[in-house]
Amino acid sequence: MAEQIKAANESVIEPEITIQQPAPGADFNPVEDVIYRRRSVRFYKKKQVPEYVVRRMLEAARFAPSAGNGQTWKFIVVRNQQMIKEMTQDVVKLFKLQMKFTDYITKPNKLKEWYAKFLQRVANNSFHPIPFAGIKMIAEEKLGLWHGAPTVILIMADKRTPGDPTLDVGIAGQNLVLAAHSYGLGTCWVSFCATPLSLKLKWRKKLGIRYPYKLVTSVAVGYPRGVPDGYVPRETTAIDWFEEDGTFKVVY
Amino acid sequence: MPEHMRLRDRLRIESYHRLGKDVVLGVVAIDQDKCNGCGLCTHCCAANAIVLKNKKACINEELPACMSCGDCVAICPNQAIELKEFIQFKCYFRYLDRGKPEPPRKF
Repeated sequence: MAEQIKAANESVIEPEITIQQPAPGADFNPVEDVIYRRRSVRFYKKKQVPEYVVRRMLEAARFAPSAGNGQTWKFIVVRNQQMIKEMTQDVVKLFKLQMKFTDYITKPNKLKEWYAKFLQRVANNSFHPIPFAGIKMIAEEKLGLWHGAPTVILIMADKRTPGDPTLDVGIAGQNLVLAAHSYGLGTCWVSFCATPLSLKLKWRKKLGIRYPYKLVTSVAVGYPRGVPDGYVPRETTAIDWFEEDGTFKVVY
Repeated sequence: MPEHMRLRDRLRIESYHRLGKDVVLGVVAIDQDKCNGCGLCTHCCAANAIVLKNKKACINEELPACMSCGDCVAICPNQAIELKEFIQFKCYFRYLDRGKPEPPRKF
């Protein structure tokens, strides 16, 4: 084991790069540029992503920080188009069922409204109005689940690892996504699939969603149609700032 | 003084029924002269907020609508779309102190 680690350490080549702190008001460096230009892509070409590119993205995810170096993630790459289709169909089916009980928008219904708002209170993240509307649109098949992306990467977390496994999985996923965007690929985070796939016995067996793993999220990967990446305005969220001299300010 | 949630806000959950009162949706302005009807924005919109009418992109009147992600702004090849307003909730899901929208800044 010790010899293996020694060999691995020797094989690492330290690249000679000059990392500089930017001057005030300087242009964005390539890393910042990829971060700022990243947009969720919801319109893909059918062309498959080469295998080595996907391997390269997953390699970037492998070097993400995690609590206690737990490396909690487990990735499942799905490139079987038939399987993606079946998964989408099953998710749509379950969302349709859910909408039978909670859709109070299309037809006003007091009981359904009460039930939906109860859900919004007890599970306020999953039933926030925005994903709620998203679920409705997926059930009506107005919104594709993975938008026809040729490659889908499902991300699972090990429940036993230190800290917050879902957070660590998010960090790893973002590494993967930024790497993909730097190659000119498009990605989209899709977490709608997590609960429906975990509920269905077929997919629990096929994807291995069982203890200690839980399905957290998924990323759709493919070549985008058009040029979706670019700068957009975003809110400047308030930042509380405690300065060295004891003053407090809120910056935007 | 930082913003806070009042008890009244925490008790009431907003509904898309009361649009404009509970929820203020995002607003995108589409320049009809610049739009060439390529339809890229309708495909990339996650909320189905943009539809093609007479080969021009238009705001969809039906629900659900814009969550101001800016994907359409970025994808438009003719720069015909502009983000005007951000989505806002007024009660339980209210966002606190989000500031004004701005593109990436160079400090």
